[in-house]
Amino acid sequence: MNSEEFQKKLKTYQEPLSISVSVSLSNYFDIIKYILDDFSNNKNIPIIYISATIPSKSISTVLDVYGIDSKKIFFVDCISHIMMSSTAYTDRTVFVESPTMLETIMLKAEYILNKYVMKNSLVIVDSINSLAIHNDMKILSEFLHLFVTYLRSRSAYFIILSMKEQSNNEISNILNFVSDEILEVE
Amino acid sequence: MEKVRERCLTGIEALDNILNGGIPKGNTVLITGSAGTGKTTLSIEFLVHGAMKGEKGLYISVTEASEKLLENLIVYDFFSKEMIQKGIIFIDIPEIYEKLGMNKLQFSMEDINLLIENIVKIVTEFNVKRVVIDSITSICYRLQTEEKIMEFILRLSKALSELGCTTFLVSELLPSAKGYSQYGVEEAVSDGIILLGNLERRGDLLRTLRVVKMRGTSHSRATYVLDITSIGILLVPLLKGGGELI
Repeated sequence: MNSEEFQKKLKTYQEPLSISVSVSLSNYFDIIKYILDDFSNNKNIPIIYISATIPSKSISTVLDVYGIDSKKIFFVDCISHIMMSSTAYTDRTVFVESPTMLETIMLKAEYILNKYVMKNSLVIVDSINSLAIHNDMKILSEFLHLFVTYLRSRSAYFIILSMKEQSNNEISNILNFVSDEILEVE
Repeated sequence: MEKVRERCLTGIEALDNILNGGIPKGNTVLITGSAGTGKTTLSIEFLVHGAMKGEKGLYISVTEASEKLLENLIVYDFFSKEMIQKGIIFIDIPEIYEKLGMNKLQFSMEDINLLIENIVKIVTEFNVKRVVIDSITSICYRLQTEEKIMEFILRLSKALSELGCTTFLVSELLPSAKGYSQYGVEEAVSDGIILLGNLERRGDLLRTLRVVKMRGTSHSRATYVLDITSIGILLVPLLKGGGELI
């Protein structure tokens, strides 16, 4: 589907489910913008953004440029620490030491969900390919299976971003297994 | 059908689920692990949740002055210092030793009796329902023999259990230890063992928790990863990615 169709599709989601979104490098930021805009501004749903590709600070800066209020978004940043970037704790950002600490990613998401008592929240993983660089496929699929199951029990939406250029059969198999819907955006 | 014993909820939701509804009331549980694994934090949270329910707690500090401990204590969102002062009694064991004239390196059976009597007296006087001794290892050090350690723990557990108290005995382990306690006796006479550990996996150090034994309830024996947060201890199952408990 193209970007326009993707935006329309997002508007149809009214019940929590697990969606994988395949994006390309050229439309990566646009897709993130559409998702955050729809869930944060239109649906007024709190968002937990798990950043394993780009530090949360950089994503916040991009969102500011796009006019999306990043104050409505909580970040679980698992890349800044290993990049030796600034890891100043704020109310909205928690840091995980490394993208290999998959259990800690779940714990931090649970912490945010419990602390801020969120119902119908959205959890975004950006991206499965970045996590795949740091983890073997067996533990990654186990993580996503557990995480999806946990988020379903919390009635949360779950979006897993995957980069088309970096994908492979193993990643596709995992996404097929844990996703209710798979969207490919050209 | 399994007879269900009355439970003492730790207040740590995931741990209570692991234990199928909490610790059987009156159990004496060994909280064991090496340094930095979260034994004291878990024990304090157990007392904090009790205090919130109106159950008086007693924390007997053996290795660290309780004033210093309170200064370093994690600030829970759900708990205030006033509530600590109202709901938990903190006692430094050197004060008891001094009061009872037990300022010696090795305790006799008479000393053991005196110590137990004194703890029971405090528990009775203040209607305490949750007790933490942090750490039992330091007391055992002065008991010297396995017989005395066994006698001390058995008699203390029995007395506290009869008063409806659920007790945590904090046990210090060396990272290289094979069993669950320093002297090997503590684990045998306790009703339950909760093992806290550090798991090293590809350079990451994860805190872990496993309920090894708990009399009076069926429970999971899986390993969980633990996080200490301002909303309390959180647990998720350990992913089976290898690694070694240290």
